[in-house]
Amino acid sequence: MTIKKIRLFLASNIEKEEKWLTDMSSKGFHFQKYYFGVYNFNQNPEEEYIYQIDFNEASQEYFSFYKEAGWKHVDSSMGRFHYFKKRADQPGVKKLYTDLESMKESVQRMLQFYLMMFLLLICSQAGLFLTWHGHPVQKAVAALAAFGVVLYLCLFVSLKKKLQFYK
Amino acid sequence: MVRYNWGEEMSEQPEVFLPLSQATYYILLALRECRHGYAVMQDVEKISEGSVALGPGTLYGALGKLQKQGIIQQVKVIDADRRKYYVLTDLGREVLDLEYKRILSVVSHTKRVMGEEKR
Repeated sequence: MTIKKIRLFLASNIEKEEKWLTDMSSKGFHFQKYYFGVYNFNQNPEEEYIYQIDFNEASQEYFSFYKEAGWKHVDSSMGRFHYFKKRADQPGVKKLYTDLESMKESVQRMLQFYLMMFLLLICSQAGLFLTWHGHPVQKAVAALAAFGVVLYLCLFVSLKKKLQFYK
Repeated sequence: MVRYNWGEEMSEQPEVFLPLSQATYYILLALRECRHGYAVMQDVEKISEGSVALGPGTLYGALGKLQKQGIIQQVKVIDADRRKYYVLTDLGREVLDLEYKRILSVVSHTKRVMGEEKR
């Protein structure tokens, strides 16, 4: 049986997302696929997994490396967020990152990526303001873009806080 | 096993890399011999008697960074699974040696201080 659940997580809340997926798995629902806030789960009361999410640039070598270490690739989102699972009863490390330095580097990668995305968002909206007539459609688009900007700012603040914590 | 040197060596001073993080120190210790990534993970667990366990994310990131710094280098090995193999460079050996000496002096200082307090 497959069930779907809709959840939205801020990218910086990766630990919350991991915990949610792991909790779902302990109830017998195992995460399979992610698409725009929709999570698909397969039911199987016999199994239990630990979930981890890695923000990284992937390659074939990257996936085979994680696989060898016991982490099965489940799905990826935006080509940067990679979902991995490992059987809960399997021995070994239960986390992808085991020291502060590497955790900090992963937050830095995320910050850099989202700064680029933010710049792209700003650039893509430049045309809107250059041809501004105050048309209702334009206002709607501007409101949407403003919402996006607010989301990005929230994300940057929370990533900055994380970096300070790891220092 | 066929192998040859891969990548350029940088003319950095080994001192600038000290002190090493615990993870980095054990990775270098494991790479005194040519190994692929997963074998590094296993060796670190073995030589630390299970006290140091590296997550794959930490190890993967560290290998990339150490290679960029010229402390380790990739070695071409014919491998059915196309795994990447690494070994210490000359700089890496110097870094490991210096760090080992640094740790020894830390231990000897600590012993002296703790010993005096016990007396």
